[in-house]
Amino acid sequence: MTASPLAAREATLGYGRNVISADLTVDIPEGEFTVIMGPNACGKSTLLKALARMLKPSHGTVLLDGKDIHHQPTRAVARRLGLLPQSPTAPDGITVADLVARGRYPHQGILRQWSAEDERVTGEAMEATDIADLASRGVDELSGGQRQRVWIAMVLAQQTPLLLLDEPTTYLDITHQIEVLELCAKLHREGRTLVAVLHDLNQAARYATHLIAMRGGAVVAEGAPADIVTAETVREVFDLPCRIIDDPESGTPLVIPSARARNLV
Amino acid sequence: MTVIRLGGYSIRLRHRVLAAVLGSLAALVALAMWSAATGSTSLGLERVWYALIGQGTKGDEFILWTLRLPRLATGLAVGACMGLAGALFQTLTRNPLGSPDLLGLTQGATTGALIAIIVTGASLQTTAVLAAAGSLATGLLIWALTRGGDPSGYRLVLVGIGVSAILAGVNGYLLTRTTIVDAFRAVYWFTGDLSGRDFTQAAAVGTVLAAGVLVIALLSRGLDSLRLGEAAATGLGVHVGATRVTALVTASILTAGAVAVAGPLAFVALAAPHISARLTGSSRSFTVSAVVGALIVTAADMIAVAGVGDRQLPTGVVTGVVGGAYLIWLLIAHRKKGVMS
Repeated sequence: MTASPLAAREATLGYGRNVISADLTVDIPEGEFTVIMGPNACGKSTLLKALARMLKPSHGTVLLDGKDIHHQPTRAVARRLGLLPQSPTAPDGITVADLVARGRYPHQGILRQWSAEDERVTGEAMEATDIADLASRGVDELSGGQRQRVWIAMVLAQQTPLLLLDEPTTYLDITHQIEVLELCAKLHREGRTLVAVLHDLNQAARYATHLIAMRGGAVVAEGAPADIVTAETVREVFDLPCRIIDDPESGTPLVIPSARARNLV
Repeated sequence: MTVIRLGGYSIRLRHRVLAAVLGSLAALVALAMWSAATGSTSLGLERVWYALIGQGTKGDEFILWTLRLPRLATGLAVGACMGLAGALFQTLTRNPLGSPDLLGLTQGATTGALIAIIVTGASLQTTAVLAAAGSLATGLLIWALTRGGDPSGYRLVLVGIGVSAILAGVNGYLLTRTTIVDAFRAVYWFTGDLSGRDFTQAAAVGTVLAAGVLVIALLSRGLDSLRLGEAAATGLGVHVGATRVTALVTASILTAGAVAVAGPLAFVALAAPHISARLTGSSRSFTVSAVVGALIVTAADMIAVAGVGDRQLPTGVVTGVVGGAYLIWLLIAHRKKGVMS
């Protein structure tokens, strides 16, 4: 396994007494686009929350660069690791440029509120996500796909080598889902380490370079999509009988649910 | 947008916020001067000026320095405290109705004041201290009850309403234990009033205000990020828990300071942040909230002094009427627009 900038070590994760994952050990490989997938309530979002330090393990640790993430100053962590939450809220009437500028928070201080560097990086983040021409528009006037790109731009303005994305394609139509995933793939090609929770197995197989399949709070399979997206794994993880064919567009595995699976409903 | 950079220092000023700050400050200065010049004896600006620099008549100086300025200064500081407390509570609860009244801090202050009135027979100082203690204790109680659980503003509102209801019951019970004279005093107290305030009280609430301003200056950027949601704020490196607790305690102290000196002037804390938001647009400004709070209290107090017929009114009667009318207008305007911001 390559060097791992972010990892969970024997972590027990849950909410109050409700344990979702026990003794979970996961390594996020550097420079890969990792997708965590699995059926509903398999613990994938919980794992992402733990990796993003939003949830503290009751046992075990989450390591960022080999050190306990909860023992590092949270602003220092925010300069290493950016997070796109599942449903962030844009303040009423805020403009695109202002929202993206919020990403500079961990680089600013009470005396240093808007440096030339802040301005440059914010502009670059908007260029990279192709929203520069929307800069002065209100976020609430935008389409779902544009809005998601604005949030990604905000996280990019944080200038972190690591990006965590919690279900970035949920509530988007298919065109905008692909748009967001293509953007993620581009960010990965530029050298960032990405971790995303995705629902769609075929999209995960196409865009991820590393897959983590979870079920019942545990990791069931892990590896390159071509290696682990097999009929057996899909059956094991999702209880779904299926065939796997090559995606005619990308050559990645494509999951075709069996015809008789429909009759099970 | 104007950016100012000086060495390591840099700040970005939005034109609309800057205009709102300067405009509301100018309005406040004008209103304060008018307030000092008018009243049961009209002095006019010229006589106010001479009395101010110590060249007025004995009578004018007495009216200005003993009667008007302490009351004016107290009103300004109380209004600013309430404007800031309201802005903090609305940010924390992410609810347009978040205020010390909704969350029970006002009821807690009333409980303290009632105890003081029953036990000590309404000494002004004990009432002030116990009212402040009641308000603070309620703030801490709400914090203790919301700690550990889901930290969303929703829970804070529900816990606050629950605490408020309990305290209202306690206050009702305490009122039944008073004599008719004390009950009158109590009702007068929780209407809120600024008459007869001196510089000691102005200084006390001014100190609370200064401390609050300092904390908010350090906290405001984190609070701004919290408006993106807990998760996004955590991602940006905000200490969400610590920021929320500090803001809640600060808001409670600001409320306690204001209520101790003036009683719970109804609706100031609720209305000030809304009016401020109308002036500044999307970027909320604590400064404008504070100035608008001071404006509301000063204006209301001038109306109260003018009174109905030849009777002066308690200040809280006017803030209640003005604030209530404003709230109804707000709700109607929102219904027309079909959105709730």
